[in-house]
Amino acid sequence: MDPLEDDDRPLRPEEMLRLIEEQQATTSKRLGGDPLLTYTPWGIAWAVGFGALFLNYTYGFLPRGAALSVLFSLMILALAISSFAQRTVSSQVRGESAERGMMYGFAWMFGLGGMIALGVRLSPQLPADETGLLWAAGSMTVVAALYIAGGAVWRVRTMFYLGAGVAVLNMIGVVVGPAAHALLMSVGAGGAFVAIGVVQRVRRDGA
Amino acid sequence: MTAPRELDPVIHAQARLRVVATLNTLGEANQIAFPGLRELLGMTAGNLSVHLGKLEEAGYVEIVKTHKGRTPTTYVSLTREGRRAFEDYTAAIRELLDLE
Repeated sequence: MDPLEDDDRPLRPEEMLRLIEEQQATTSKRLGGDPLLTYTPWGIAWAVGFGALFLNYTYGFLPRGAALSVLFSLMILALAISSFAQRTVSSQVRGESAERGMMYGFAWMFGLGGMIALGVRLSPQLPADETGLLWAAGSMTVVAALYIAGGAVWRVRTMFYLGAGVAVLNMIGVVVGPAAHALLMSVGAGGAFVAIGVVQRVRRDGA
Repeated sequence: MTAPRELDPVIHAQARLRVVATLNTLGEANQIAFPGLRELLGMTAGNLSVHLGKLEEAGYVEIVKTHKGRTPTTYVSLTREGRRAFEDYTAAIRELLDLE
């Protein structure tokens, strides 16, 4: 049979309804990007980077600068991977949602830019441990606020709760001190983001 | 086998229903490039063009030809009538299923 005519043929109502639901689910899934690439790279960056920083504070393993470099390089890599994951199909869409995505991308750039400027300016004035905390807590404040904002922009509760969770752990860490902060970020924030990425991917593929 | 009554013949066809469902999911005020739509639907370019032609004739989709740099690009979006037709169709199908 001609595939076009086959396409044209209606099905029974319940099959047509299922067709609608399946197509809507596929579309949202593809536009939303791969959760494994969206969340997990951040989780790995923090688990490893803050893990290295914790080992430095507690046991003196690794030079401080090396631990911070590992953390920031992995975060830049995570930012690249997660923005790439969002851009696959959504780069084909123009209009309101593309504009939102672009503005949100700028929020990351300006937020992290401001944090870097602050770090560069204040680092020489601070004791060594506090310098590490300034960079770590400053960048996590930006991350937490932007995840919460991302949850609001796209109405994604997972993003909102992840951001709020990071914000709380970040505040506790700052109050307790550099080593506790590194541990909370490594295990708490890192673990949560790795787990959410994996769980959502498995759930998505199973659905 | 139920003979569906009052179902919009334009979208009471598997392929065109999928096209409209996809465009509806994109949300208002958004357009998608032809290749992206083709990818989401897994249709051939020729097949999709034919179906888009029928939907455009009915006033359900708007097709805008433009340029992205030097490359010609075609953007597709659902019109207000198209969105209304899809909502009516979905409601009609649900009603039919409830009656059965």
